[in-house]
Amino acid sequence: MGLNDPQWGKRRGNSGPPDLEEVLRDFNQKISKFFGQKGGGGDGGSDGGNPEGPSAKGIVVIIFLLLIAWIGSGFYIVDEGHRGVVLRFGKHTETTLPGLRWHIPSPIESVEDVNIGKVRTVEIGYRNNVRSKVLKESLILTDDENIVDIQFAVQYILNSPDNFLFTNRNPEDTVLQVAETAIREVIGNSKMDFVLYEGREEVAAKTTQLMQDILDYYRTGIAINRVTMQNAQPPEQVQAAFDDAVKANQDRERQVNEGEAYANDVIPRAQGVAARLLEEASGYRQKVIASAEGDASRFEQVLVEYAKAPRVTRDRMYIDTVQQVLSNTSKILIDQEKGGGNLLYLPLDKLIQSDPGSGITRSSSGTANQQNETRSFSSDIGSRSRDSLRSREREVR
Amino acid sequence: MKSISSVLTGLLLVIGIVGSSAIFIVDQREQALVFQLGEVVGVKTEPGLYLKIPFIQNVRFFDSRILTMDSEEPERFITSEKKNVLVDLFVKWRIIDVKQYYVSVQGDETLAQVRLAQTINSSIRDEFGNRTVHDVVSGERDEIMKIMRQKANRDAEKIGVRVIDVRLKRVDLPQEVSESVYRRMEAERKRVANELRSTGAAEAEKIRADADRQHEVILAEAYRDAQKVMGEGDARATAIYAEAFQKDEKFYEFYRSLDAYKKSFKSEKDILVVEPNSEFFKYMKSSSLDQEK
Repeated sequence: MGLNDPQWGKRRGNSGPPDLEEVLRDFNQKISKFFGQKGGGGDGGSDGGNPEGPSAKGIVVIIFLLLIAWIGSGFYIVDEGHRGVVLRFGKHTETTLPGLRWHIPSPIESVEDVNIGKVRTVEIGYRNNVRSKVLKESLILTDDENIVDIQFAVQYILNSPDNFLFTNRNPEDTVLQVAETAIREVIGNSKMDFVLYEGREEVAAKTTQLMQDILDYYRTGIAINRVTMQNAQPPEQVQAAFDDAVKANQDRERQVNEGEAYANDVIPRAQGVAARLLEEASGYRQKVIASAEGDASRFEQVLVEYAKAPRVTRDRMYIDTVQQVLSNTSKILIDQEKGGGNLLYLPLDKLIQSDPGSGITRSSSGTANQQNETRSFSSDIGSRSRDSLRSREREVR
Repeated sequence: MKSISSVLTGLLLVIGIVGSSAIFIVDQREQALVFQLGEVVGVKTEPGLYLKIPFIQNVRFFDSRILTMDSEEPERFITSEKKNVLVDLFVKWRIIDVKQYYVSVQGDETLAQVRLAQTINSSIRDEFGNRTVHDVVSGERDEIMKIMRQKANRDAEKIGVRVIDVRLKRVDLPQEVSESVYRRMEAERKRVANELRSTGAAEAEKIRADADRQHEVILAEAYRDAQKVMGEGDARATAIYAEAFQKDEKFYEFYRSLDAYKKSFKSEKDILVVEPNSEFFKYMKSSSLDQEK
């Protein structure tokens, strides 16, 4: 109010804050003018000349100021996400929304500020950090009489500021109590494996529901946002055994995988071998048929010519063959008829030695003398000689 | 003038003092008893502004909200199978009859809680004594709480209190029993682990054996098919040979033999010991052309 006064602070220039007395005096003047006191406002009122006038006026002014200050103290601001709960003589009259508000000042009305937007948290089974467990909260008996170690976080907001304020003493403690009882009830109704593994979300959902029901029953004005299972484990004392069971599961899978790896190695390999066998067989079939056809055709062609001159052809072929045979082999020609029954010494061992490991065939020619034993023998044919044999074969062709 | 104002001020002051002791406010969270020289003359359960006679009447306030009795330490109870369980619970209650409440427990909250605790303890003992641990923990938890609430309420009425709810917070096994539970859990896991491992080994073995079987079967079948194919080839070849060679069996014999000779003796390492008697050498002995005849 004084701020709008053009005189404000100007009188004394800028030598500090205006003297209260002077301001009052100034104000008195205005007041008296306002109340229609004639003229006197000009000079008379401003002086302390008349002792009665100013003191009475002063009291009025002070009362007026106090009244304004009192009325002014009724203003309050409700922040976004908050609610103002107004009590008139202790009785709840209204709940105000965010913005600038006014209530009949104290002691008639008072306002309590309640933050309903803030998400509040309660931790069960731990404090601040999941590692700092509170064992007496976190160890819970399950339906199958096992014990699990569980940490929960409950997030909630207030949905009814007046219920929150007026129905329960320490409603925030109630959340913790309710959370504990709800969790234990839900877990007490579930099997351990369900809690630890597949049922985690369901447990949280059921707990949320149960908590909300209980809190509504107490009319706490609290709404549960989320119940999250921070951690669900077997207790430390049996952790090792549980880990081992998990490991065993891994082992099982590993073993199965190894078995499958073996199968995946062996079967395709066998299929490969089988395919090769079949291919080879079909190759063989084609080969034998082709060579049979070839042989047959060759024979038939020769036969045609042979039929034209059998004798000559026969002789020629015979001589050709023997020539070819003899020219390719070492030979010893012996005329035994002269020697009669004499045994002929042939240093076969030496011949063999000169070519060790080679096969030796001794035979008399087709029309051999009866005296001659016809023997053939073969020694083991080493791989080397077989190779050499083959190379020679190639040369011959 | 001065005296008038000072008298006025004094009067105001007195009115203020008397007035302030003549009014009292009951908060939304409270209810009040008005005593007149020790006698209860008024019960104010509704919040608001009230008047009283200064100096003669005085007022006591009581909480009208729901209060909590939370046991500090869990207590031991015995179940029907003679097992000890530690039970921790909380009770929600509120004062419904302030006068009764004041008369029976002097308005002392702790005293009221002790009263409630006694009632509830005995009802827990009754309920737990008839039930197994399993019933207490899961099966009939809700029912037990309901029964306890009803029982507690019967007694609570006598002290002007209503029990809103009795809830079991924790039902735990005592330390030594917990240990045996842990041992059992451990053994069970061990069983599961062993089972998993051995079924794993069995499965792996099955897969391997099956693979080996398939391996053998595939190879055997392939051998069978291959032999079949080869047999077909052989048969066909034989037929071809037979057809061709039938045309002149004698010549075939001769022809084939020559071929065999050629193939049999073709290395210099083959040593032939021959007599000149053979037909090949017939001209080596004599050059007569008519030898044949």
